Amino acid sequence: MQIYILEAILLVFLICITSAVIFCKDILSAAIIYCAFSFCAVLLYLMMGSPDVAFTEAVIGTVSTIFFVTCLRKIDRWCE
Amino acid sequence: MMSEKFGGIVLNVAFRLLVPFTIVYGVYILCLGEFSPGGGFQAGALLSVGVVLARLVLGFDTKFNILGETSLILAGVGTFLYAFTGWLTLFGGAKFFLDYNFMPIKMEPVHEMHALGIFIIEIGVAICVMMTIINLLEAIVKRGEEPDGDSK
Repeated sequence: MQIYILEAILLVFLICITSAVIFCKDILSAAIIYCAFSFCAVLLYLMMGSPDVAFTEAVIGTVSTIFFVTCLRKIDRWCE
Repeated sequence: MMSEKFGGIVLNVAFRLLVPFTIVYGVYILCLGEFSPGGGFQAGALLSVGVVLARLVLGFDTKFNILGETSLILAGVGTFLYAFTGWLTLFGGAKFFLDYNFMPIKMEPVHEMHALGIFIIEIGVAICVMMTIINLLEAIVKRGEEPDGDSK
């Protein structure tokens, strides 16, 4: 029973993080918050019993955050 | 930001601690991929994280920097390794691609032969993924350093 409560909490976290990424005006902050999305997804995949997918998600989440922050050098940090 | 040396003593010490363990862990994931979670793709991503971290902290002067042309060629080499194993089995008389029973090297327990074939194609996948991620970073950095009017 407790595992379902934990999964529900993580899913609510995922929805909140996604809303924050969508409505954030600072693109650098959005990239960092997206890293938290990746971490919650890793925990969810581990609970569903697929450590393979969780491992891939952890590594690719790190690399994609590096890519997003590198892309920010060319464009403006704030969007109106 | 990324073509010259970056950071102070904290970043240098963290780099010295993090990067060797990351690369060794990538090789471990590659070699133990059949028995534990992980495999070619994850090992390649981990190895590329090691190289990308070195590139981020030390800039162009780092010891294991891999430039754009070299990474493209090595990505092709990884794909070729995968395809060549499949072709070897096809020429040996297999009915479909990557049928490990028809490998040119004969070993007595059949599952040993399967393990060898899977290991070779996983090395190919790891090299291809690692070099593709490094090449993507190189492309983004090069695009950011083009001279234009309002660059920061």
